[in-house]
Amino acid sequence: MTRYVMTIDLRRCVGCQTCTAACKGANATPPGIQWRRVLDIESGEFPDVKRSFLPVACMHCANPPCEEVCPTQATTRRADGLVAIDYDLCIGCANCVMACPYDARSIVHEPRYAYNDTAMASEAKRFDPDRIGVSMKCTFCKDRIDHAAVSGQIPGVDHEVTPACVNSCISGAMGFGDIEDPESGVSRLLAETQHFRMHEELGTEPGVYYIWDKS
Amino acid sequence: MKISALRAAELAAPKQQRNWDWRAAANFICGGAGGGLLFWAAFAGLDPVALRVAVLLGLALIAGGLTCVWFEIGRPWRALNVYRHIATSWMTREAVVALLVFAAGGLALLTANALPALFAGVLGLGFLYSQARILAANKGIPAWRNRRSIPLMVATGLAEGAGFLACVLSLTSAGAGLPMLVGLIVLIGARALFWHRYLGALVADGAPDATLKVLGGIAARLAVFGHILPALFVMAAVAGMPGRGGLVFVAGIMAVAGGWFLKFTLVRRAAYTQGLALQHMPMRGQGAAGAAAKPGWKAMPGAKAG
Amino acid sequence: MEAQAKSVKRVPTYCYNCVSGPDLMNIKVVDGIATEVEPNFAAADVHPAKGRVCVKAYGLVQKTYNPNRIQTPMKRTNPKKGRNEDPGFVPISWDEALDIVAGKLKAVRAKGLLDEAGLPRVAVSLGHGGTPSNYMGTFPAFLAAWGEVDFSFGSGQGVKCVHSEHLYGEFWHRGFTVAADTPNCRYNIAVGANVDVTGGPCAVIRHADARVRGYKRVQVEPHLTATGACSAEWVPIRPKTDPAFLFALIHVLVRENGLEKLDIPFLRDRTASPYLVAPDGLYLRDPQNGKPLVWDETTASAVPHDTPGARPAVAGAYRVAHAVVVDADKERREYADVEGKTAYEMLARHIDKYTPEWAESICDVKAETIRRIANEYLAAAGIGETIEIDGKTLPLRPVAVTLGKSVNNGWGAYECCWARTVLAALVGALENPGGLVGTTVRLNKSRDNRHLSVKPGDDGFMVQYFNPTTKEEWQAAPSTRNLHQTLVPIVGHNGAWSQALGPTQLAWMFQGERPDDWTMPMPTLPEVWLVYRSNPSISFWDTRHLAEIAAKFPFMACVAYTVDETNYMADVLLPEATDLESTQMIRMGGTKYMEQFWDHRGVVLRQKAVEPQGEARDFTWITTELAKRTGLLEPYVNAINKGVSGVSPLKGEGYDFSLDTAVEPAPEKIWDAVCRAATVTLSEGREEHDLEWFREHGFYTVPMSRLDWYLTPTMEKHGLRYELPYQERLLLAGRELGRRLHESKMNWWDEQLSEYTALPEWHDVPGRWIRNLEKSGARAEDFPFWLLTTKSMQYHAGGNAAIEVMHEVAQNLRGHAGVIINAKTAASLGIAEGDRVEVRSHIGATYGKAALAQGVRPDTLVIIGQFDHWATPFAKTMEAPSLNSIAPMSLDLTDATGSGADIVRVSVRRMEASA
Ligand SMILES: Nc1nc2c(c(=O)[nH]1)N[C@H]1C(S)=C(S)[C@@H](COP(=O)(O)OP(=O)(O)OC[C@H]3O[C@@H](n4cnc5c(=O)[nH]c(N)nc54)[C@H](O)[C@@H]3O)O[C@H]1N2
Ligand SMILES: Nc1nc2c(c(=O)[nH]1)N[C@H]1C(S)=C(S)[C@@H](COP(=O)(O)OP(=O)(O)OC[C@H]3O[C@@H](n4cnc5c(=O)[nH]c(N)nc54)[C@H](O)[C@@H]3O)O[C@H]1N2
Ligand code: SF4
Ligand code: SF4
Ligand code: SF4
Ligand code: SF4
Ligand code: SF4
Ligand SMILES: [Mo]
Repeated sequence: MTRYVMTIDLRRCVGCQTCTAACKGANATPPGIQWRRVLDIESGEFPDVKRSFLPVACMHCANPPCEEVCPTQATTRRADGLVAIDYDLCIGCANCVMACPYDARSIVHEPRYAYNDTAMASEAKRFDPDRIGVSMKCTFCKDRIDHAAVSGQIPGVDHEVTPACVNSCISGAMGFGDIEDPESGVSRLLAETQHFRMHEELGTEPGVYYIWDKS
Repeated sequence: MKISALRAAELAAPKQQRNWDWRAAANFICGGAGGGLLFWAAFAGLDPVALRVAVLLGLALIAGGLTCVWFEIGRPWRALNVYRHIATSWMTREAVVALLVFAAGGLALLTANALPALFAGVLGLGFLYSQARILAANKGIPAWRNRRSIPLMVATGLAEGAGFLACVLSLTSAGAGLPMLVGLIVLIGARALFWHRYLGALVADGAPDATLKVLGGIAARLAVFGHILPALFVMAAVAGMPGRGGLVFVAGIMAVAGGWFLKFTLVRRAAYTQGLALQHMPMRGQGAAGAAAKPGWKAMPGAKAG
Repeated sequence: MEAQAKSVKRVPTYCYNCVSGPDLMNIKVVDGIATEVEPNFAAADVHPAKGRVCVKAYGLVQKTYNPNRIQTPMKRTNPKKGRNEDPGFVPISWDEALDIVAGKLKAVRAKGLLDEAGLPRVAVSLGHGGTPSNYMGTFPAFLAAWGEVDFSFGSGQGVKCVHSEHLYGEFWHRGFTVAADTPNCRYNIAVGANVDVTGGPCAVIRHADARVRGYKRVQVEPHLTATGACSAEWVPIRPKTDPAFLFALIHVLVRENGLEKLDIPFLRDRTASPYLVAPDGLYLRDPQNGKPLVWDETTASAVPHDTPGARPAVAGAYRVAHAVVVDADKERREYADVEGKTAYEMLARHIDKYTPEWAESICDVKAETIRRIANEYLAAAGIGETIEIDGKTLPLRPVAVTLGKSVNNGWGAYECCWARTVLAALVGALENPGGLVGTTVRLNKSRDNRHLSVKPGDDGFMVQYFNPTTKEEWQAAPSTRNLHQTLVPIVGHNGAWSQALGPTQLAWMFQGERPDDWTMPMPTLPEVWLVYRSNPSISFWDTRHLAEIAAKFPFMACVAYTVDETNYMADVLLPEATDLESTQMIRMGGTKYMEQFWDHRGVVLRQKAVEPQGEARDFTWITTELAKRTGLLEPYVNAINKGVSGVSPLKGEGYDFSLDTAVEPAPEKIWDAVCRAATVTLSEGREEHDLEWFREHGFYTVPMSRLDWYLTPTMEKHGLRYELPYQERLLLAGRELGRRLHESKMNWWDEQLSEYTALPEWHDVPGRWIRNLEKSGARAEDFPFWLLTTKSMQYHAGGNAAIEVMHEVAQNLRGHAGVIINAKTAASLGIAEGDRVEVRSHIGATYGKAALAQGVRPDTLVIIGQFDHWATPFAKTMEAPSLNSIAPMSLDLTDATGSGADIVRVSVRRMEASA
């Protein structure tokens, strides 16, 4: 069995949003839509203040409430752990948007462009009408993962089949790989660190692990 | 062109959901009432005219709600895909039940026969229940996912249905009988009870501050106009106050309006998302890791609301 | 979609949009259209950031296709210039545009390069910390062919940049920019150094590695930046009091721990600590050879500092039988039986009064905190430890104090630079593994190799090329409008870099008013002003006023991307092929800014990944056309042959790729020759690669020893000492400069002369800003807050403010396009999150939305970056506030190096109608 997961080392992240922008580029998301973004969180009171950066996206839950509620089976959990959306099935009912406890999904009803109403060449080239009016979210860069099956490369090791955000991260905060494989990079990293998954109490079994200290 | 500036400080905090607007809310508002109405219509032993009116109104309410939703979804021409996930999706189930409701309801309309009306009534309840489960399945909205939202939604749907029925009866025939009126009082009382328990559970289980604020903010109005006044009016009618038909009608309207107000609030205004949280501030080389942060929530132990 | 794409290719290239580059990337091109920016993992083994670029580079696709670009040459039709005058730009042909510019230039040549005031008639402004040179192709060769040019009109770069570090850093240890040796560092006191935001991917990953490894960074800064957030400790110091904090650290080391705990061999052998100082504050020198004396402990006598076998005493006071001192203007005085204190002893006595308790009241930082930090620093220095690098054993001193730009310019910056360099020297961490390293040189040659710039000079120190202050040689009539040779000895005269690092605000200020006792020729307007990739009307101080001055310039041509606040006053706009559309080869690795010290050095090609939009042309093409049309083709090609624009001369030992000076060279031809020359020289003749090869491979490197990161071994090799801790040469330069100015009956620079001290004293640095506003008639109590600025990871200055996606992603972080304010302070003023607020100084107001935070001092407001655009498309719709609109440009706030700081006293209030 394979379950692809992501590790995010909060000790490393500087909140630069390189991953945010890389995901936008790799997936041609319209202005205002960020499948991934990095939050800026503060706690405490002056002068005892802590500030941290929290990258968030779809958690590719093992028990995804978005899938459960989806009336069309457009949202499915794949055998390798990816939670995917079939744009051809989705009716854009937004039930999954409400079901997701991680603000991971969005629906865009009209084409949107960076500068007013006309698409730049780069936007026109990549505009996908199938994504209008349907639910969208981080795919774990599904096409790359699928390519791995064809090319024999290993996601998280070979860059060509690793998510764009992971590749882009300038602090090396992000890892990707198969958590079922004890030898994978993510498994080894998780073994030697303390980490948590967000909102685990909701029973979603998210596939993103946040590292916060050595063990 | 003016470009927007977000407030970064609020990005992690629960946000009011924006995907289900008044159209989706209308489905819960009308559809729930319609389901409740069908249910009571089936059991109230109505005369054919009243039955037809009640069933027609019930179906219209459900159809109206569904039409609103149809206008809301992103890909309306693919709406039939909604039937693809009966295994777990309450939205699929709602859609299936809706079909059956219309079949049974349509038959009841044609025949004014008690049996199809009974089917329509049971299915109406099923529709109402499905809607309650749709909301509750949405883990992303703490106000909905609380298990106590299910009895609340069912109770208000039934109260609204009874309210509608009371109105229909006060207009169409000899008026509502005593059992009907007592039933209405009981339903209003039940809704008040479930509302109270729901709020209590939300506070106990934790919910976004904004959700609690919105819900807390309607409690008094809901109690007065949705529960106390209609109950008093019905009691007055029972006690034989003059203008009984009017009293019952107004009480029925209030019972409906109170429920709709409650549901609109729940589906739109109080529907804040879970938001995002940091269980541990990370270590930065040396020093202390720092407390957790769950912006927009008070409940998390050790956390400071951001 | 992509599946149906006819062609998909990945084009290797570089990003050098901010000074923290170059960083390597690929551009994904689908059917001839650039669609994505990706890391270039082929460079993962040579590039410290593993072939990754930062967020800013991900805006380059939008930058290319931005519909607001200038896509044809334009000329102005409205002869009136000003912020309220629509320039009426109309499209013209390249021929017409080039002829207009060349015509103006030829007219200048006909009259002479210098005008009646002796100032160059042509002025050029290049912005953002010198990064334009990585995009302007062969333009430097054109400038070289041209002759005298005035680089006086500063943008924010230079005097608002890490200015004092540029000057003093390079003076002390060839550190034009200075960084911690992060890969080896254990303890970093970062005083306003916002490195996780500004250091680029190389710094970010190094510091992330260090954090995971368990190093400690203490961020000393008035507000909690992303860098502060990622630090182990945040010390919210009161603005502009950093010298006091740093002095107190020295106090703890020197007075509370004492010499025995410091790095005695380093102080003795590599610094001037043992030099004996006379009671008059000058070095005691050998009467015969003039060399500074030290006290030799083995013979118990004063001997010249370089006496073989001597063991100089680091501390103490000693009686010297006979010695001389050499004062300003070579005035010699003889001493007999005089007491000489070692320079270290002078420091120890000087620093005695600067206790942590003293600093506490100034800095608002607890004495115990200061003391603890100093002691942690000392402990972490691990004096005595060694490390082996490439077979050589070196000291390991893994501690560094780093300074950010806002403590590195203006008053107090000299003190900060001095203190942090002394802190490094005291523990032997200066230019040693783990410690404080310079990462590039600009004011000294060779520009690509710090080590080659280390040559023996006077008194056992490295050679320095000061602007002369002697009676004979002092430049009494300035040769540039910013008076850099006249006023700033330490900035030198080494070409454009020295010029551009002069007091560039004086060039702007003196176009308007001059001091009453000004006795030099009146500064003139430049007849032709060329501007490239710089926006002083946004990035400088008092920007509204600055734009008015620029509007008076008679002729201005800009190589432009969009209309912006500076080129709004231009007569001609020349559209340039931008980052993804043009070709150039630059150096990488080796010595570069910030934390770009690599294990490799080499070259990287920026190449045309896609065809230029509209009529935009490669800068090299534009330059060649200008050279041709001004009759400068031959000297221009000669300059290219000499390597002025490329990375190395086109002709050298065993190779000759030089271009025919009689023929107009096509850009491809130039870069092909540069590619070949670069690879031949880098590989020492083993390999030669042409442009085609680079188009495919992108870059070429050869390994570089880490030993090259550290200057100390080279100093040791030459037997040289760092000129620390005592600053006799600066003292003398100041004295001489003072005499010259006073001889010319000018006293307006007197305040600045006070900075020339041998051992800096604390003075009321913050008070200068308060006095400045009071002088202009305002009341101090009306402006109770400090307003600061801080950089944004998503923006390179204002350079990419026109890019939509940068705005979008930047909004995820607090404070962008807003005013960061302490939450409690805000509450007391009735200001809520998102309220529109007015921030007012004594010269004006700026407006933005309040962003409430706990991580900022209650007495401090912060505005990110430099915005407040009013002409740049898209950016002007951001409605972002800017410090620069309301911070004055003032002689009072200019320090002796000629720089000023980005800080101003302000009030804040909620606007009535909140948006
Ligand atoms: N408030 C505040 N002010 C500051 C600073 C701060 O932190 N805060 N920092 C200061 C520092 S350290 C510096 S170095 C300076 C930098 O300030 P400047 O040297 O003035 O540089 P930028 O603001 O980056 O200006 C870049 C200009 O180049 C244009 N441009 C961008 N890309 C291209 C291109 O491809 N081709 C052409 N032809 N033009 C292009 C942009 O439109 C923009 O107008 O600012 C200083 N000013
Ligand atoms: N992303 C990005 N990176 C860049 C640039 C860019 O524009 N964008 N520009 C490049 C350039 S040209 C430069 S010069 C460098 C500059 O790099 P840095 O010096 O690291 O840049 P700043 O963010 O301006 O950092 C200055 C910090 O000083 C703090 N500060 C202000 N006043 C005081 C004070 O009185 N005391 C103390 N202790 N701190 C104070 C401010 O809070 C601010 O965070 O960055 C380079 N890198
Ligand atoms: S994060 Fe949200 S969208 Fe993603 S799998 Fe989990 S529930 Fe579904
Ligand atoms: S929006 Fe699409 S994916 Fe989401 S629940 Fe509805 S049909 Fe499923
Ligand atoms: S995995 Fe791919 S889709 Fe998901 S956030 Fe990263 S880049 Fe975006
Ligand atoms: S790219 Fe890496 S360091 Fe930057 S915000 Fe994303 S996760 Fe954090
Ligand atoms: S740090 Fe500067 S040079 Fe490097 S990728 Fe970012 S913008 Fe480009
Ligand atoms: Mo700078």
